[in-house]
Amino acid sequence: MIAEVKPTATATLTLDGVEVSFTEGETIYEVAERAGREVPTLCYDARLEAFGGCRLCVVEVDGMRAPVASCTTPATAGMVVKTTTDAIEKHRRTLLELVASENRENEVDELRGHASQELKSLLDRYEVRGGRFAGRQSGTSNSTDDNPFILRDYDLCISCYRCVRVCAEQEGDHAITMMNRGFEKQITTEFNGILKDSACTFCGQCVQTCPTGALGDRKAMRAESLPGEVEKTRTVCPYCGVGCSVDLLTKEDRLVGVQPAMDGPANEGALCIKGQFAFDFVQHEDRLKMPLVRDEDGELHETDWETALDRAADGFKKAAGEHGRHAVYGVASGRAPHEAAYTMQKFIRAGFGTHQIDNCSRA
Amino acid sequence: MATNQELIEQWWKEEAPLLPLLHAFHDRDGFISEEAIRAVADGLKIPVAEVFGTVTFYHHFARKAPGQAAPRVCTGPACKYLGAPELLKSLEGATPMACAGRCDDGVPVLQGHEVRVGRTADSLEKTPSPLPPPNPGNVEECVFAHIREPERNTMEGYRGYEALEKARGMSRANLLALITDSHLAGRGGAGFPTGKKWEMVEQAEGEPKSIVCNADEGEPGCFKDRAILDYDPHAVIEGMAIAAHATGATKGFIYLRYEYPETFQIVERAMAEAEELLGDGFKLYLRRGGGAYICGEEGSLLNSLEGKHPFPRNRPPFPVTHGYNDLPTVVNNVETLASVAPIVMKGAEWYRGLGLGEHAGTKLVSVSGDIQRPGNFEAPFGLPLLTLLNEWCGGAPEGRSIQAVTMAGLSGGFLAGDDLDVTLDEPSIRAKGAFLGAAGIMVFDDTRDMVEVAHCAMEFFAEESCGKCFPCRIGTQRLTERLNGAAGPADETKWREEVHDIGRTMMATSACGLGVAAPNITESLVKYFPEQVAASLKNGR
Amino acid sequence: MSNPLADMEKPDLIFCIGTNMTECHPVAATRIKRALKRGAQMVVADPRRIPLAEMAELYLPIRVGSDVALLLGMAHVIARERLVDREFIDARTKDGEAFLEHVQQFTPEWAAGITGLPPADIERAALLYGRADKAAIYYTLGITEHICGVDNVQSLCNLALLTGNLGREGTGINPMRGQNNIQGAGDCGAVPANYPGFQPVHDPANGDKFAKLYGREMDGEKGITKVTALNRCGEGIHAMLIDGENTVVSDPDRHHCEHALRALDHLVVIDIFRTETAEFADVVLPATAWGETDGVCTNTERRVQRLRAAVTPPGEAKPDWWIVSQIAQRMSIAGFEFESAKDVFNELCGLSPIYAGLDWDRIEHGEYNWPVPHKDHPGTPVLHEGEFKNGRGLFRVICYRDPAEVVDDEFPVWLTTGRRLQAYHTRTQTGRAAGIDYLLSEESLEIHPDDLADWGIPDGGWASLRSRRGAIKIRARASNMSPRGTVFCSFSFSDVPVNILTGSGYDPVTETAELKVCPVNISPFEE
Ligand SMILES: Cc1cc2nc3c(=O)[nH]c(=O)nc-3n(C[C@H](O)[C@H](O)[C@H](O)COP(=O)(O)O)c2cc1C
Ligand code: SF4
Ligand code: SF4
Ligand code: SF4
Ligand code: FES
Repeated sequence: MIAEVKPTATATLTLDGVEVSFTEGETIYEVAERAGREVPTLCYDARLEAFGGCRLCVVEVDGMRAPVASCTTPATAGMVVKTTTDAIEKHRRTLLELVASENRENEVDELRGHASQELKSLLDRYEVRGGRFAGRQSGTSNSTDDNPFILRDYDLCISCYRCVRVCAEQEGDHAITMMNRGFEKQITTEFNGILKDSACTFCGQCVQTCPTGALGDRKAMRAESLPGEVEKTRTVCPYCGVGCSVDLLTKEDRLVGVQPAMDGPANEGALCIKGQFAFDFVQHEDRLKMPLVRDEDGELHETDWETALDRAADGFKKAAGEHGRHAVYGVASGRAPHEAAYTMQKFIRAGFGTHQIDNCSRA
Repeated sequence: MATNQELIEQWWKEEAPLLPLLHAFHDRDGFISEEAIRAVADGLKIPVAEVFGTVTFYHHFARKAPGQAAPRVCTGPACKYLGAPELLKSLEGATPMACAGRCDDGVPVLQGHEVRVGRTADSLEKTPSPLPPPNPGNVEECVFAHIREPERNTMEGYRGYEALEKARGMSRANLLALITDSHLAGRGGAGFPTGKKWEMVEQAEGEPKSIVCNADEGEPGCFKDRAILDYDPHAVIEGMAIAAHATGATKGFIYLRYEYPETFQIVERAMAEAEELLGDGFKLYLRRGGGAYICGEEGSLLNSLEGKHPFPRNRPPFPVTHGYNDLPTVVNNVETLASVAPIVMKGAEWYRGLGLGEHAGTKLVSVSGDIQRPGNFEAPFGLPLLTLLNEWCGGAPEGRSIQAVTMAGLSGGFLAGDDLDVTLDEPSIRAKGAFLGAAGIMVFDDTRDMVEVAHCAMEFFAEESCGKCFPCRIGTQRLTERLNGAAGPADETKWREEVHDIGRTMMATSACGLGVAAPNITESLVKYFPEQVAASLKNGR
Repeated sequence: MSNPLADMEKPDLIFCIGTNMTECHPVAATRIKRALKRGAQMVVADPRRIPLAEMAELYLPIRVGSDVALLLGMAHVIARERLVDREFIDARTKDGEAFLEHVQQFTPEWAAGITGLPPADIERAALLYGRADKAAIYYTLGITEHICGVDNVQSLCNLALLTGNLGREGTGINPMRGQNNIQGAGDCGAVPANYPGFQPVHDPANGDKFAKLYGREMDGEKGITKVTALNRCGEGIHAMLIDGENTVVSDPDRHHCEHALRALDHLVVIDIFRTETAEFADVVLPATAWGETDGVCTNTERRVQRLRAAVTPPGEAKPDWWIVSQIAQRMSIAGFEFESAKDVFNELCGLSPIYAGLDWDRIEHGEYNWPVPHKDHPGTPVLHEGEFKNGRGLFRVICYRDPAEVVDDEFPVWLTTGRRLQAYHTRTQTGRAAGIDYLLSEESLEIHPDDLADWGIPDGGWASLRSRRGAIKIRARASNMSPRGTVFCSFSFSDVPVNILTGSGYDPVTETAELKVCPVNISPFEE
């Protein structure tokens, strides 16, 4: 962000014995996070309205009968907050054991989605090995939805409702909802159908915020069995002019998926179907791999760079020689990077002294 | 039959239109069809998926035929021992429902807009709900003082809103001071001082302000609000109008539980009678719930009114500043509001003096279960529980003795043995780990299997858990499974450890009172009936 | 855009005209949806009942190509109701009086006659826009792809100037760019009238500057546009270097376009696929694609961001800048000794005033919106704050003109073209993405159900679509988005080459083609 103006501190509270300042409107969780505390959460997504469902973020506040959810409780002046007492940590562990007990499995491939490792990392952090609180599992995976983008493996759903909230609050599509109540709560679309028949635009935001991998990126998951580590490279989406920041997922030089950058200045974690799922043109078999030149036979044939570049250069020299320097025209791309457009215009201007250059914005 | 369009036209501009519109379709078709959901979504500009999700939240909204036409039988903890399971089996197409608030003369069977009561299929009869018996202790009453007068539920029988007139002659400040001074506190369970609540709303910024009467009465074993609304609805309406005058509110809502269709008609008629007296400055609306205990929780109730998914709201902010439509709102229980007019007429000192010793005022208590004379009683705070049970209600049925009672419906858990020796007031009951709350007391005699009773209670909480927060959504399920043996350790020590760990975390971290209170059942079960727990584990339940 | 994307959540009144944002700029549209939730109101003007229309307070189904009339009518009401921002006009604009006088004649009733809207709705739109404290305008190609594209944009500027809705948070005139780096192509000087950084070529000072930088004399006259160049192929233009554009499918009047490319002596195409256009080339050079190239791009809010390579390019594909530089070197053009994208970008920053404060290392995290005139400058998210770059904001006196072609007995239906959510441009990219077919496997023509019935075409049946330039076969689909008498399809599918039909006219200033309006004749298809 642009050199952010530091909030002017107006009040202080005591956080684990240390006095910290905060601005009005901040929650205890936000203050604690700023102060470097690692308060665990599962239903929290900084972009969404705080929900207060998972209760992992509970903290002790002096004068309160019971712990409070730090994500929904506003900080107030003079508050005395403890984020990690033994009692609190025990409750957190119990909560995690409860959540772990309702799922088919708690370990999924990271290719499922941006947040898919959240539950697993918390289980590791609190050394929850499972086994306690056995009982019926919640959520039923949807096996009829054959859309090629989003896996709906609700056996792994922990009813944090981040998906529903992101679809409503961030994407604004309201495609998915919560059916029933209590332990029978189920994430689904209107009339419990498939995404294609709903208002879903396949933006993938629900997938990326799901903390368990109950929602999975089916396209990326194709690469689960490929060898190698998943690496991420930050870049910008190649489609429209909004310029969403994305992380490219690669495995040993194979582009296997895309995830939105939660801190992307233009998109703040959002993407659309194109940016999210339409990436496999890059390593497509149709890609041009060698230069082509048109031969006597009138057909294009593969050749080496030297030949092709010489042919290209000769043609321009000849055209300018025969018809004058204004006879050569350049069309730059609106999709290639600056360096392409800059060298294109320089080629025309430095090469011919003309301004016979344009780009494809008029189409 | 009204068309979709006509129904939408009728409701879309109204206050809090979603529930009444859904009811309109439910009444018209007997269930809520896909087409109806689409029409409602389109008419109210709510996303289809959201309307669908919200409809599935309410247990009484059917999604297919026969839907509303099929009988629903109360299988609550009291009715269960009055033959409900057999009745359920004998009625064709019948489905169970949670406690429907007729524990004093169960078993209620709800079909369409009618409640019939009886123990067997042949004896089912549509009868008026029981009128509170004359006060057995001969103590002075506040809420029930006039309830037994004939025609009391008509304006003629009620004889006009004298208290409202008097209140309107007072300044807001004086009126607020009077209520505060009376020490009237919330009768819905939490016991928040009513005067203070009104004052906060009066002072909060934002308009229009609202008065919401919480008549959702979903707590099993509680049926006092039903009695008030059936036999003295004007007392509540007048109380609301006085609250409106005290706070500057211009709108009022009565949120009535689904299971009281006859009450709905009585209140509707009373509201029509009252319209003129209320005047233009205070508009009153009656809304019917869809069958969800959690909608008695005020945040949930407000979301339900507003047509949102009825999850409880995070607090703060509280309804006094961010209530209906995020504007200042008083949410008060029926009984609380019914106490207001008498206080205005007779004064704060009179009201305080009704209690015993240092305890101010009275409390309506609903007694049911294994007891000779079940019913609603107005008791002074401080009355010994055993006096109520044995003297007022005649004690356990012939040849049996009281094994345990529940407190606050189910939410307070069990009291048993020596701990029955308490007085009816929070300090005394809380000292035993329970609480009085809305004062539903269900009695279980010495023949009852308390593990089974506890299971029935926990199953209620599991079915009514809204599913918003982890501890309650999963915890109520796991505790239920541990009480019926569906899952969990067979070893007693381990069983106790799991049950206690779950319970403690639910109490400490749940997002609303349901999850906080539910483990009172298991905690008190283990405390009073360890042998029954051990035996049940040994028998593999 | 005059204002940043984040600003889209802040207006009180949003005026969307000629933009199908939920499909073309979905992520930007999410911000609009949030603004609406927050309580903002929205007016949408579009011939089609697009998804945005469903969310609007007021939807104006205008006849295609009648935007200027609507905007004049609105200006009339704003002036009449004294909703003009006097202070702003006096302090910051020019020629306001002439404009106010001019609009007096254009009553809503007059505008209604042209746009087909009820006068009351025009009135209401004007009041909503005029009374809002913060009103922002968003538009895309629905405004520009007309013979009067410039007039349309100017008319929008007039409205904003009239009401002082510029240079503040939550206001502005905000075109949304359709391609990831179309803004960047302009920034870099790939336009006939400007050097990099929008330095006009007709300014001799700029000519001198670049003569020195590039080591040769520069023309003082601007070049011709691509549209003109295509018209002159074989007669003045004899060689072309086309980088990453599938001209044959994306440009209007396909036959004319193919003919032009054939008339060239020499065509070099740089691309990642063997496109329809590449088939006309003498030399085709394989470029590295997105994800394989380091570089820079600028988004629609002028935010300069880094692109990074993540995988190795296939075969012998090379970065565009390398390819162009190699050709240049072989022609002995000086100054192409670049060794990396960084070299190229830093050279650009060195000679473009709007990038003067930037360099390769500084843009690591994409935090700057140009202009960034010097190294300590924080960037400029909102343009025209306090003052316009060229002094005062100019009102322009504009009159309505009919589209190049209007419906008549032979071509009685308006065809308008655009994009779909799941497809991008000519589908060289989205068409090759697994799964997209699940949602959108073929193009179809959206027709109002009643028209469909009238014309005797079954829903899902084949139709023949004919304009003055050619005919195509296309599947017909009933859609309530299309009003009666107007049909829609996208230009994304090359097996439905809509651009055979389009190309009736061009804006005289920008030479942008009138892709949004094309009178057509529709009949059931017969073998
Ligand atoms: C799970 C739950 C259910 C509740 N149900 C009711 C109810 O049915 N009726 C009621 O008056 N209050 C109920 N309450 C209490 C309300 O939230 C609220 O405190 C009360 O309506 C305030 O009114 P009072 O101050 O007059 O008691 C419930 C609370 C919880 C947590
Ligand atoms: S993909 Fe996007 S639109 Fe579809 S359900 Fe998920 S968040 Fe909603
Ligand atoms: S699907 Fe994922 S994001 Fe959605 S509620 Fe379940 S766990 Fe949460
Ligand atoms: S405690 Fe239970 S009922 Fe209350 S919010 Fe949590 S899940 Fe819902
Ligand atoms: S993060 Fe606070 S309750 Fe989940």
